[in-house]
Amino acid sequence: MGSEDAQFEKAVVVLNAKLMGTVLGLLLGIGLFLATNFLVLKGGENVGEHLGLLAQFFPGYTVTFLGSIIGFFYAFVLGFAMGAVLGIVYNKVAHAMAP
Amino acid sequence: MELLPKTRVELCIRVRLGRQAVDEMMAEHTPERLPDNLLLAFAPLHRMAMGIAAGAVGGSLLFLLTLFLVAKGGYPIGPNMKLLGQFFFGYDVTVAGSFIGLLWGFAAGFVAGYGFAVVRNIAVWLWLTVIRSEAEMDQYGDFLDHI
Repeated sequence: MGSEDAQFEKAVVVLNAKLMGTVLGLLLGIGLFLATNFLVLKGGENVGEHLGLLAQFFPGYTVTFLGSIIGFFYAFVLGFAMGAVLGIVYNKVAHAMAP
Repeated sequence: MELLPKTRVELCIRVRLGRQAVDEMMAEHTPERLPDNLLLAFAPLHRMAMGIAAGAVGGSLLFLLTLFLVAKGGYPIGPNMKLLGQFFFGYDVTVAGSFIGLLWGFAAGFVAGYGFAVVRNIAVWLWLTVIRSEAEMDQYGDFLDHI
């Protein structure tokens, strides 16, 4: 039992950078897509006044159905980059610091 | 009177010397290595590595977004992004502020990543403990039936 614990303590998870990028990209993309469409369906006077500020970074993005599709692609790209960098940096640091 | 024939006992002692012999003896007592699949499923996340990685992502993201707004220009520059200064003291949508944002973003990302790894490792440890307990109960549950 003790040696099993020791083996688990010494082992370290290695992340797949591409997979991390894909997962984070889909999470952000679907999140923005759903948030945008939620506001569109909710309606009101000034639809998505604050979410629309994302257009500062995502040219072409608007709080409309078409904008939600454009936003999905932007958020996917951003999430993919974030996940891939996270995976690569994690693997390098974990490899350097592993016991 | 009958004489019994003498019996002879031979005692063989094999002596092994040298580094190879010691290695072989040690190998006999080395516990079996767990399968890779098992280690992969239950291995912990490296907390420091996850903290540094999340910090690098958070810091560089805030840094680049701030510089993007500064380069884009206009008046006023990034009035909404500037509100981050409420939490990140010293942060502003300027070139100097982007470097302060880099540090703050790294710090916030590090805390988030490190915390995520700690919670994830605790959850895996609890899961492993439950599985072990159930396996031991299955193994020794009918102990009294065999007495």
